[in-house]
Amino acid sequence: MTAATLRNPMRVVSVRNLAAHKVRLILTVVSVLLGTAFVAGSFVFTDTLNRSFTKIFNSADRGIDSRVEARKSYDPGVPLSLVDQVRALPGVRAVQPVATASIVLIGKDGKRVSTGGAPSEGKIWTSAVDSVTTPPTFVTGTAPVAAGQVVINNGAAKKARLATGDHAKVVLPNAGVVDVTISGVYRTETETGGYVGVLFSRPQALQLLTDGSHLSALDVAAGNGVSEQTLTARIAQILPADLKAQTGDQVRKDDQQGIQTALSFVNYILLAFGFIALVVGTFIIYNTFSMIVAQRLRELALLRAVGADRKQIRRSVVLEAGIIGAIGSVAGLAGGVGLAFGLHALLDALNLGLPSGGLVISPRTVLVALLAGTGVTLLSAYAPARRAAKIPPVAAMREEFASASAGSLRRRTLIGSVVGGLGVLATVAGAASNKGGTAAGLIGLGLLAVGAGAMLLSPLLAGWVITPLGKLLGRPFGAVGELARTNAVRNPRRTAATSFALTLGLLLVSGVAVIGASMKSSINSLFDNNVSASYSLSSQADLGVPIRAAAAAGRVAGVGSMTELHDLAVQLDGGGGQSGTAVDGPLAPVLKVDVKRGAAAPGPGTMIVSDSTAKKSGWGVGSTHMLSTHNGRTITETVSGVYKDNQLLGPWMVTGEVYRALVPTNQWSDIVALIKAAPGTDEAALRAGLERVTDPYYVINVQNRSEFKGQLASQVNGLLGLVYGMLGLAIVIAVLGIINTLALSVVERRREIGMLRAVGMQRKQVRRTIYVESLLIATFGALLGLVLGVTYGSLFAATLLRSQGLDRLSIPWTQAVAFLVAAAVVGVLAALWPGVRAARTRPLEAIATS
Amino acid sequence: MTQVRTVSPAVASIVAARATEVVKLYGSGDTAVRALDHVSVELVRGEFTAIMGPSGSGKSTLMHCLAGLDAVTAGIVEIGDVELSGLSDKKMTALRRDRIGFVFQSFNLVPTLTALENITLPIAIAGRTPDQPWLDMVITTLGLSDRLHHRPSELSGGQQQRVAVGRALAGQPEIIFGDEPTGNLDSRSSGEVMGILRRSVDDLGQTVVIVTHDPKAASYADRVLFLADGRIVDELRAPTADAVLDRMKKLEG
Ligand SMILES: Nc1ncnc2c1ncn2[C@@H]1O[C@H](COP(=O)(O)OP(=O)(O)OP(=O)(O)O)[C@@H](O)[C@H]1O
Ligand SMILES: [Mg+2]
Repeated sequence: MTAATLRNPMRVVSVRNLAAHKVRLILTVVSVLLGTAFVAGSFVFTDTLNRSFTKIFNSADRGIDSRVEARKSYDPGVPLSLVDQVRALPGVRAVQPVATASIVLIGKDGKRVSTGGAPSEGKIWTSAVDSVTTPPTFVTGTAPVAAGQVVINNGAAKKARLATGDHAKVVLPNAGVVDVTISGVYRTETETGGYVGVLFSRPQALQLLTDGSHLSALDVAAGNGVSEQTLTARIAQILPADLKAQTGDQVRKDDQQGIQTALSFVNYILLAFGFIALVVGTFIIYNTFSMIVAQRLRELALLRAVGADRKQIRRSVVLEAGIIGAIGSVAGLAGGVGLAFGLHALLDALNLGLPSGGLVISPRTVLVALLAGTGVTLLSAYAPARRAAKIPPVAAMREEFASASAGSLRRRTLIGSVVGGLGVLATVAGAASNKGGTAAGLIGLGLLAVGAGAMLLSPLLAGWVITPLGKLLGRPFGAVGELARTNAVRNPRRTAATSFALTLGLLLVSGVAVIGASMKSSINSLFDNNVSASYSLSSQADLGVPIRAAAAAGRVAGVGSMTELHDLAVQLDGGGGQSGTAVDGPLAPVLKVDVKRGAAAPGPGTMIVSDSTAKKSGWGVGSTHMLSTHNGRTITETVSGVYKDNQLLGPWMVTGEVYRALVPTNQWSDIVALIKAAPGTDEAALRAGLERVTDPYYVINVQNRSEFKGQLASQVNGLLGLVYGMLGLAIVIAVLGIINTLALSVVERRREIGMLRAVGMQRKQVRRTIYVESLLIATFGALLGLVLGVTYGSLFAATLLRSQGLDRLSIPWTQAVAFLVAAAVVGVLAALWPGVRAARTRPLEAIATS
Repeated sequence: MTQVRTVSPAVASIVAARATEVVKLYGSGDTAVRALDHVSVELVRGEFTAIMGPSGSGKSTLMHCLAGLDAVTAGIVEIGDVELSGLSDKKMTALRRDRIGFVFQSFNLVPTLTALENITLPIAIAGRTPDQPWLDMVITTLGLSDRLHHRPSELSGGQQQRVAVGRALAGQPEIIFGDEPTGNLDSRSSGEVMGILRRSVDDLGQTVVIVTHDPKAASYADRVLFLADGRIVDELRAPTADAVLDRMKKLEG
């Protein structure tokens, strides 16, 4: 090939440029990669879960041609008598009764078998004749034929170390502890990790899992030649109004939708991570391209001088961005798959009840990842590309252009002030509003606008903040500190874009820290002010505190009084379903009821309601209301008192008699039982006594005041954990951004650093200059984020918590300082490698002409 | 290779820098370039030396080797009584900082620092405080009193070079090196800068070595060394511009 002319000179220049600066290329690609990886990872992860769950449900729903169940979840279910009626219908092959209840299986070691997130349930064993599909196959043993016999799934058997023939225990809400013998171990095709399924013989299942007269559903299989629709229509004709029949297809479709809704939450959280990563990545990419353009200024000017027009220059920069975006998003896609794999493996290892199965990479995932990665890169490179196109050809000849700054900040500052100002207005309006929803909405809007304003203003702010900050932090370093400070404010746009990644991270984390701390202290104060119980009994499992256990605890010597709280879901006045509290025992010794009008506790035939419930529904002392379940059981209660809203009490309270009248016997349990010690009781002895009588139920926590309080507050920690995850991500990207920017500016300042080395700056001092510069940039970003985060966290806490009845604003200052220090440390760590690179600059490079 | 050499104190006191049988090779094997070929030279204290020669003759290389910016292939370089070969980077840097001043052709100044901050930079880096009367005198001599708080970008090329000279003088180094310090300047600015260097030798007793292509600039020196093909081929004392031009013509012709 001797062709002397280049066919596409601009493209050749772009591509050679990329190849010539490998470090720069890698760093930019990594920043694109991170954002894309999270987006891709979240899709892969949820798609995979979705498919696995769908598979499980499909296998569970297999063979169903029609299902009969209650229309409303608080209904008792399908009357037993219906089984024979349905079976008698023409075209019915099998009717399988379904009853499910939360149970706890006690393993060989005498401890409860924990399932992570997977269900732990008791069900009815159905023989092949009655099964709509083939019954599970046995690994060992045989079906349960008598009361006291159960079969358990293979996974549970392994975990509990139980084998056929072993004796075991099962804990249920009302029945308490039941002794059983394992008659067999069965295998299911698809099983989520940790799942526990205990199948009882039919008579015992009806006794333990149902109210004795109702099933949760009937699954029906059609005989040969009868369609799902025909079968379902026939069944529907004999059903009472509160029951419905659905075709098998409908059942499977509903289940599938249920999975998707449940998973969409996970998807949103992961996508939020991806979004943050992409936004932060945008700044880094923008920075990188700005610097690339600055460094190539002379070369671009030369190209202009020899005849390239503006469009060609712009296109060559955009082309570079396109290449980087494409490489980054492909790598991000791969990274996302890896991420999903890792997350899956991690959750698997933690035994959180995830189904197993291969990863699902849908075309949608690939498309979104590639578009997002490339799109963000092109978008970020657009402004630098335009700037590149504006370079005058004379810049090739004139020294001063080589270090020219990117023009005035006036327009940017103006726009930033307007946007930020509007944000402040929205925020003030929100804070002044007393409607919870509107307030939070306005403040949220204000936060967005103020955040955008801060981003636009941050070059200006960088100068204002870093100069005094640099004088303070740089002082111990003398001339080195001085140099670092001036370097940090040398290019305010760059400093702003570099530090904004940290600003975002800190904004998020400090905001949530404030909300979390406020929630915790609100819960604490709520508890301190309203709870006077000495001990509480609560359940480690879904099934609540078995009532027998509570009854036994109530008889322990030293118990002054015991108050049991039940969760009661009913239909109110024939309208929608609602959940309230039913109480057994005196309220006054353990819970404070702040009475506004009338009685302080529900009595026979009376209920008390919270202030907001009364207002919302137009209730008042003396009004009567119907609490009902669809089978016709209805109880009418008269409001006897109104109390001030309190999270611990719920929207309304009735007596335990109402609970027992409306709720099927087998479900009777306590949410919590509160115990007040009799005066003069030895606390330790009381606790020992309580533990002794509740230990045989395996699932009960006996907690003193501070333990109970801690458990309530610990729910907040889950939320915090999630957000610290986001911080981790934002910090990783911020670090990459700082490394990238510093590494590039070291390249940019090669001659200057060489000159400093020539006139006597030690390597150590060169390194230190870079460290301090990075420290200042990071601290600035963190400070800005902290100020915004604490402000908005407080505002959100104030409005949100107020509407939740939690009213303690608490700002975790120590934590805030810790965040700041962490950000500063991160800044220095990010500078390590660029610093070393800079220190390697040889003095002669100052004089080198290229 | 390195042979031990003792330098008598009497000689050390008058010689500011010395090169003995210095060889500098760039590259290796067939493509090696012999930039310096057994150069020996003594630079005497309080003297202004100019180095001249055709392009590629090794002037910059000689200066870099003498100033401790580059290592020699063979031979010995001394600054005062310190032999440079074998010095660690740390010691070498400190030596440059404390005992040598530099004026480059361009890129002399840190753009973010003011003129005054640039002048005192090596002193500040060393963590010392400047000798105030001396500094004042240097600044007055340079004629920069009203430009001290300007950034380099706000100064003319000539003013920038004067700031660079000021930086070289401020630390009272034993020797000042300049590689074409007036290479980017017009003849008037060039004359100003050379005049200042000349005065620093006459009034302050500085030792100055510069590389230049300009016979007029060389005429400010006490002594002109001529380099060709990596060797010192000629020397001229008390040069005039015409005499220098003459010798140069002979060299190139
Ligand atoms: N880093 C290097 N690598 C290889 N060869 C070099 C290097 N630096 C200089 N040379 C070679 O050494 C020789 C002397 O170079 P030097 O820069 O000292 O010349 P000079 O006299 O300063 O020339 P000019 O007047 O053009 O500045 C030249 O042949 C040059 O090509
Ligand atoms: Mg030269």
